[in-house]
Amino acid sequence: MAGSRGKSETIDAGRQHLGTVYAKALLGAAEKAGQADHVVEEVEAIVSDVLNKLPQLDEMIKTPRLTHEERLPILERAFGGRISPTTMTFLKVVSKHGRLDCLRAIAHAARKQLNAARGRVEVHVETAFPLNNAVRDRISSRLGELLHRDVVLSTKVNDDLIGGLVVRVGDTVYDASVAASLKRMAQVTLDHTKQAIRESLDRFALPT
Amino acid sequence: MKFNADEIASVIQAEIEKYESAIDVREVGTVLEVGDGIARVYGLSNIMAGEMVEFPSGVNGLAFNLEENSVGVIILGDYLQIEEGDEVKALGKLLSVPVGNAVLGRVLDPLGNPLDGKGPVATSELRPVEFLAPGVAGRQPVREPLQTGIKAIDAMTPIGRGQRELIIGDRKTGKTTIAIDTIINQKHSGVKCFYVAIGQKESSVANTIKALQENGAMDYTTVILAGASAPAPLQYVAAYAGTSMAEYFTYKGEHALIVYDDLSKQAVAYRELSLLMRRPPGREAFPGDVFYCHSRLLERSCKLSQELGGGSLTSLPIIETLEGEVSAYIPTNVISITDGQIYVQPDLFFKGIRPAMNVGISVSRVGGAAQIKAMKDKQVAGGLRLALAAFRELEAIAQLSTDLDAATQSRLDRGYRMVEILKQPQFQPLEVVDQVMVIFAANSGSLDDVPATRVQAFEKEFLQFMRDLRPEIRSQIAEKKELTPELKTALTDAIRQFKGTFAKGK
Repeated sequence: MAGSRGKSETIDAGRQHLGTVYAKALLGAAEKAGQADHVVEEVEAIVSDVLNKLPQLDEMIKTPRLTHEERLPILERAFGGRISPTTMTFLKVVSKHGRLDCLRAIAHAARKQLNAARGRVEVHVETAFPLNNAVRDRISSRLGELLHRDVVLSTKVNDDLIGGLVVRVGDTVYDASVAASLKRMAQVTLDHTKQAIRESLDRFALPT
Repeated sequence: MKFNADEIASVIQAEIEKYESAIDVREVGTVLEVGDGIARVYGLSNIMAGEMVEFPSGVNGLAFNLEENSVGVIILGDYLQIEEGDEVKALGKLLSVPVGNAVLGRVLDPLGNPLDGKGPVATSELRPVEFLAPGVAGRQPVREPLQTGIKAIDAMTPIGRGQRELIIGDRKTGKTTIAIDTIINQKHSGVKCFYVAIGQKESSVANTIKALQENGAMDYTTVILAGASAPAPLQYVAAYAGTSMAEYFTYKGEHALIVYDDLSKQAVAYRELSLLMRRPPGREAFPGDVFYCHSRLLERSCKLSQELGGGSLTSLPIIETLEGEVSAYIPTNVISITDGQIYVQPDLFFKGIRPAMNVGISVSRVGGAAQIKAMKDKQVAGGLRLALAAFRELEAIAQLSTDLDAATQSRLDRGYRMVEILKQPQFQPLEVVDQVMVIFAANSGSLDDVPATRVQAFEKEFLQFMRDLRPEIRSQIAEKKELTPELKTALTDAIRQFKGTFAKGK
């Protein structure tokens, strides 16, 4: 399976798949209790605020050396009382199945599925310069009009773009950056020039 | 040639001035893992099977496996520059290769890039590599001959334009030579030739190209090369790419010939890909659709109907067997797809019978309809196959008994001379008229008193004689394509006349 490399976050197709299954179950249970948004936020918080900051705890709950029974008290002590009962039960179920290593994928998938259910769409925008709030809101509302959905915007600053912006919705990328434009212009110009030279060699030859 | 930099700069400036920027929309995915010519990609949720993708290094790939969580991509090029996490872009188009007159005389890789150092292929026409074969309405029966220039083949397993004739045999039995001779013989027939070398040593391909050049065959031939060192995806695609280049002429109403040398190596490349993609292995670890892999390729060889221009694509697939094992998986598959096979055997080859074709089990299922009347004549090749079969039987019996009656002995002698006359050195294809005259001479018994060792000299001098002293017979056969009784008499007469001089010269 995939190792860890820096280009983007590591993707593990197997875990991703498991994540979608558990996320679906989690959302189903949470919707019944009427607190889907809250539960998803909690799971995300567990990943971002606890596991990411305490790698040792992360390792501890992941390790297959501990049995489910040994893991239960750790989970209770770490999260007991701080999270809703639904989330706690869910963590226990995941632990029982030995799938706590998929927690990141579950959080990711749950957010995606919740967004889809609420008619929201995740849009990732990359720009060369940090966006101020006014521009952010304008981009967000304009994209919302175009996509006919509520937009959940995430942004990133990337110097390499030089200018313009790159919008990513799902697997589709709309690239209106200066860098891509320059690259394409170079390619088109090269192709056309090459063709022009090939078609009329004598025009370009130096008179001898 | 020296170039004027200012002129080039002005063209570039004009290009830049009229360049219009548009938003670049693309479907992307991320490389999960890569190796051995394949990559697994996450994302690309709307990609279709067979669609092209592009890696950041500029290398292209083909979507090969669409799975629930990932896409299996075969990489057409250098996969060592691709890293995990790279962005993969779907191009929304199918793999295409350059086609047209510009590819003739070139040595290309399966993507149409030149390998011969003669500069870029100057054509803007492209054709998709995978193309659906014409249906029944778009075809007509084979009716024109494709002369191979090899006596044994043109006489006994004739090939028609649009036919698929398999050349099968062990290694080093002269399979490629038959194909190369056929290409060389198309010099004046206007048939465009394509030689697809799959998984072969580059040194032997270099020799083949040299032979083609020396015989002036490179002017109308394209060599598509995916050598032994090429990655499996390129070896797999090469056959389809070559077919696509050849089809261009077929659909223009012209005639083309394609040689796949060889399809067993292509099947092995396909097996490699399929196993890497974790498709379930079947017999001999080949995937279940390896039959389809070959059938869809060979179905593209056809004789098009008059409405579609009447062009044709003849194919000569080559299969290498191990120890004469024709009942292995790939040989049986390809035998069942093709319209006949030429079976070459090592024992015949080492006996000096070259081409080492086994007449008994070589067949051509449709080519007979395309044979010219003169060749089909009872006194030429009409009864040749049966006569040779009878001779083989007799020869086997003769080995057991010591004294034979005169009739049997004379039939044996005729057979030995027939075998001798069907021998032919490589790169020396014969015109069909010459073949008819030589086989007629042997059939009429004129060779019976010539020692077997002198038969080849007889043939050579006889043809020279006919060319120099009796050209009217040659031209009449060529014109009428049929042996009329008058022509037969004239021919017999000429043979008698020649034998007088030949006996004297001994």
